[in-house]
Amino acid sequence: MKNVVSLVSSGAVALLLTAAAAVLPAKAEIPAGPLVSTEWLDKNIDNPNLRLVEVSVEPGLFERGHVPGAQNIVWHTDLVDTVRRDIATQEQFQELVRKLGIDDDKTVILYGDNNNWFAAWGAWVFNTYGIDVKLLDGGRKKWEAEKRPLSTRATSVAASTIELPEANPKLRARLSDVLEVVDGKDDAVLVDIRSADEYSGKLFSAPGSAELAVRAGHVPGAINVTWSKAVAEDGSFKSPEDLKKLYSDAGIDGSKPIIVYCRIGERSSHTWFLLSKILGYDVRNYDGSWTEYGNTVGLPVVNQAGTVWGVK
Amino acid sequence: MASTIDSRTAADSRRPSLIRRRIEIAAGIGLFAALAIIARFVAGEGSGTDALTTSLVLGALFGFVLQRSRFCFFCAIREYIDERKADGVLGILAALAAGAAGYTIIFGSWLPDPSTGRLAPDAFIGPVSWVLAAGGLAFGAGMAISGSCVSAHLYRLGEGSPTSPFAIIGTVLGFAVGYATWNELYLVAISDAPVIWLPNHLGYAGSLALALLVLGALALVLLYRSERPASTAGGPPQPLRAIFLERWPGWIGGIAVAAIATASYLRVAPLGVTADLGGRGRQLGEYLGFVPSHLNGLDRLRGCAAIAQEALLSPNGLFVVGMIVAAFAASLVAGQFRPTWPTLSQIVRGLSGGFLLGWGAMVALGCSIGTLLSGIMAGAVSGWVFALAMFAGLFIAHRIRQALT
Repeated sequence: MKNVVSLVSSGAVALLLTAAAAVLPAKAEIPAGPLVSTEWLDKNIDNPNLRLVEVSVEPGLFERGHVPGAQNIVWHTDLVDTVRRDIATQEQFQELVRKLGIDDDKTVILYGDNNNWFAAWGAWVFNTYGIDVKLLDGGRKKWEAEKRPLSTRATSVAASTIELPEANPKLRARLSDVLEVVDGKDDAVLVDIRSADEYSGKLFSAPGSAELAVRAGHVPGAINVTWSKAVAEDGSFKSPEDLKKLYSDAGIDGSKPIIVYCRIGERSSHTWFLLSKILGYDVRNYDGSWTEYGNTVGLPVVNQAGTVWGVK
Repeated sequence: MASTIDSRTAADSRRPSLIRRRIEIAAGIGLFAALAIIARFVAGEGSGTDALTTSLVLGALFGFVLQRSRFCFFCAIREYIDERKADGVLGILAALAAGAAGYTIIFGSWLPDPSTGRLAPDAFIGPVSWVLAAGGLAFGAGMAISGSCVSAHLYRLGEGSPTSPFAIIGTVLGFAVGYATWNELYLVAISDAPVIWLPNHLGYAGSLALALLVLGALALVLLYRSERPASTAGGPPQPLRAIFLERWPGWIGGIAVAAIATASYLRVAPLGVTADLGGRGRQLGEYLGFVPSHLNGLDRLRGCAAIAQEALLSPNGLFVVGMIVAAFAASLVAGQFRPTWPTLSQIVRGLSGGFLLGWGAMVALGCSIGTLLSGIMAGAVSGWVFALAMFAGLFIAHRIRQALT
């Protein structure tokens, strides 16, 4: 009887060792850097150390077909505090991350619709709570365009017990931080990543979005680099060299801290991701963005188009 | 509606010439081929075309099934009230039961735990208020007056019905007026009305069991209290004849509708026929200046009425196009395409009944397909409330009409 037990247990140990051997090199294969390509993901989709998460804005999109093995984050409720205008609380976000089976051994890859805007917002929230995540370069758009497989099956993973740190305030700019730059007390660079027409004040919001600000225009001193200039035709980021040139041509070379903003803070997360993760600059996302700044009483705006209350 | 059916029987008895039948069948087959070519054309490169093609194909299947089985809420209920023939209503019950089972399978994969209080993504689960009931009453009355619900008018359009074109125009107008009354109704009743999804409270198994129990009980009552159809002598008809010429038994149509509804929810959106029509009504009303450009809370609510139409081709628009063309083709092949000139009374009934259909469908956020069929399949209380109110409206208006004539 004892022999049988020891035989079984030694067999189990051997099995575990083989399993570990099979897993460890796979972990080492996960490329360094903030992005993974669709091609790499397609080949490594079964890697047990990956936690693939979709963050899309359109309801029902994930459910009708997602990258196999992906889990879902509902942007409207999971990543935000539904009462205060704020990112999810530490407690709320920790519960979500545990449910997704994320711990220190796992590599998290996010992707989504709309050129990864909301996945980038997700990446900003994950980083705020100390979890460094990667983006699937090109997001859903590229994955679908390359006719890679989708699945409708639910993915189930074992929950984790990860403990998250307090939110890191260094990744986020508040209105007061922006005002210090406007008043010349801080020499950070403000980057307005909206379209040229929103920046000039011709439009109060991008077409299709609600006009939520009383004033149009931009924060005094902000430099306009529209987010889409950083993206290639297929939705993926341009090469780091091209990105470096794009921003240095606009006068942004990383020598000064940067604050990015847009309308509500989700498109600017896209630029936050590339400037901080791909180019390694010191960047904060101002998620209050134009809907806070453009509505605040007593603040100066630059409105080249001269629009007031929606008209000239 | 009885008059339309009678006239068709009369037309059939006149025995159209063999040449005419051959032309009709050839034209019907040609239309099906044309649909296939359009589907191929729509399925261009680029993302988003999948939803368009799938909608066109499912719409065509839906139109074919409705025309072949005469899946029509009003006719089915009227046949039972007036003639105690239960086949049509049994078909509707079969659709609801099989569809509820299909939805449950999808829900289990999309939202494994319904007890979290979250709603299944974009299913037709609406707020339950007196406005929903009022919409159902108006919709039911509109059915009795115009002779059909919206989906049946769409397939009747393909049969050359004299009333349906006016009913569709009336529906678009009714939608526009619905939008004009929306903001006030939203503040008075809809904004704080409860959105009740049975799986949140009973789980998927409980919700499905309850639906099957209620539908089964209704079916038993109908079977018990109806005229038995005369047994068909000489065995079942030859297959091609059974599919393309004879009216399908109600339950076969119902199960086919459930399959299409399940496929549609899985791939594109819940089954519905008024989103595109409603969008046109909204455009019209905004253009004429009586629909406000901001509609309270509407983009937040799920339903057939929600989205302002901008693109020329929407999945729902293609669904409706597929439906009409396939119903037209099916009626040609079956020898049931008999266009007639409308009488003044048909024009008036179409426009006024259609108006009620449109207003009711707007404030209830959908019609007998979206709010009722897709809602009940999804386990939404709003679907059941709409069904009850619609039946009451239909019954009262039908009896008044009978008393007047």
